[in-house]
Amino acid sequence: MNERPSILDGLDPEGRVRESLLETLGIGRTELLLAALAGAATWTAGHASHAAGAGLTENDTRILRFDLQLEYLQATMYTQALRLGHLRPAVRDAARVVGAHEWAHAHALKTILGRRAVPPGFFDYHGVTEDEHAFLRPAVAFEDLTAALLKYQAIRLDSRAVLAAAISLHSVEARHAAWLRRIAGVLPTLTAFDRPASQAKMRDLILSTHFVAEDPTTGARRAPGFTG
Amino acid sequence: MHPHPAAPKTTRANMLRRAIVGSGAVAAGAVVGAGIPDESFSDPSPAQDARILNFALQLEYLQARFYAEALRSAGLTGELHEFARVAGAHERAHVAFLEKHLGRRAKTAPPLRFGEAIRDPHRFAAAAVTLEDLAVAAYNGQGTNLTRPALAAAVEILSVEARHAAWVRDLVGKLPATRAQDPLWSATKATHKLMQTGFVEA
Repeated sequence: MNERPSILDGLDPEGRVRESLLETLGIGRTELLLAALAGAATWTAGHASHAAGAGLTENDTRILRFDLQLEYLQATMYTQALRLGHLRPAVRDAARVVGAHEWAHAHALKTILGRRAVPPGFFDYHGVTEDEHAFLRPAVAFEDLTAALLKYQAIRLDSRAVLAAAISLHSVEARHAAWLRRIAGVLPTLTAFDRPASQAKMRDLILSTHFVAEDPTTGARRAPGFTG
Repeated sequence: MHPHPAAPKTTRANMLRRAIVGSGAVAAGAVVGAGIPDESFSDPSPAQDARILNFALQLEYLQARFYAEALRSAGLTGELHEFARVAGAHERAHVAFLEKHLGRRAKTAPPLRFGEAIRDPHRFAAAAVTLEDLAVAAYNGQGTNLTRPALAAAVEILSVEARHAAWVRDLVGKLPATRAQDPLWSATKATHKLMQTGFVEA
């Protein structure tokens, strides 16, 4: 009881997120957040994967599942670019850090979703991860649009605990977007107000890239690269 | 329920809050984060929105003035100049938006004094990093306290602050994004950090 494993344990083995939560939210708020997340995921010792996700509404589940798949798509792209691409040091550093963040986001979303989590899709990047210029374009597009998507979703989430988590990811996606835009040689900002974009818009971007293989065999053509 | 090692922090935070907000260390008109619940997940309401957005307005006033003055006196050149110009224009747009939204409820700007930060490009850049990161954490911390319409507006502003933060951090050779999740600061912490900059005159 004293050492109740929280949702952060898996996500944050070194305790950095917890530390920053404690530091920034204060004890009362952190407890509330952890309790709420634990409630959402019904996270109990030894039974983590069992009942996890049970407390989420259908609406929040749909949103988080979409985001989880999106994080997988991006995280895998960075991992693969690091493995295959011939990246300048600045691009390599960004891909390393941003990729690690996207994996952490995927892990966080997976943990919140529990049993309702979706497995990673099959991705085929059609060679863009092998070329720095080809890689930066979709990387920027996905970061810009993910920040926009999280804005659209923020006001549609039922759970305020999930909203708090989404907010803490949202500004990081905006940071990624600005970082990669600067590396790509374009202005890091767009206008004074970043507008939201719907899931339909994100779906259009994903479809336009053809990064999601319809079924595993499509990706298998390019094996072993596609698994990231 | 389970005693936490960080528990004293709350006490310290409360003391700080009293010191900053309650004791008159700051002139009454310039109390920046006053009236905002420190506990998060306090039920959103239009009245609470107004208090939070007024807090945001104070940050935007400060940033807008900071960039305007730095452009005149900090000797900025190259991309740092471009950053100050672009970010400054954004902050002015944020001020205008919040003033319009708040109408007669909008508070006036606190008395400001930027000292060396607007007289030297390096100090300017360091201060810009502090202010932009501070704005991100402060906005983030209030997200769950806002009604949905106010939240919709706040997130449009806050990701622009995050872009500024990333841009100027990269410019000075700092990692634009240091962690996977940005912090969510309480009003007390944000106010404290703001007062620590020394830019708001007591």
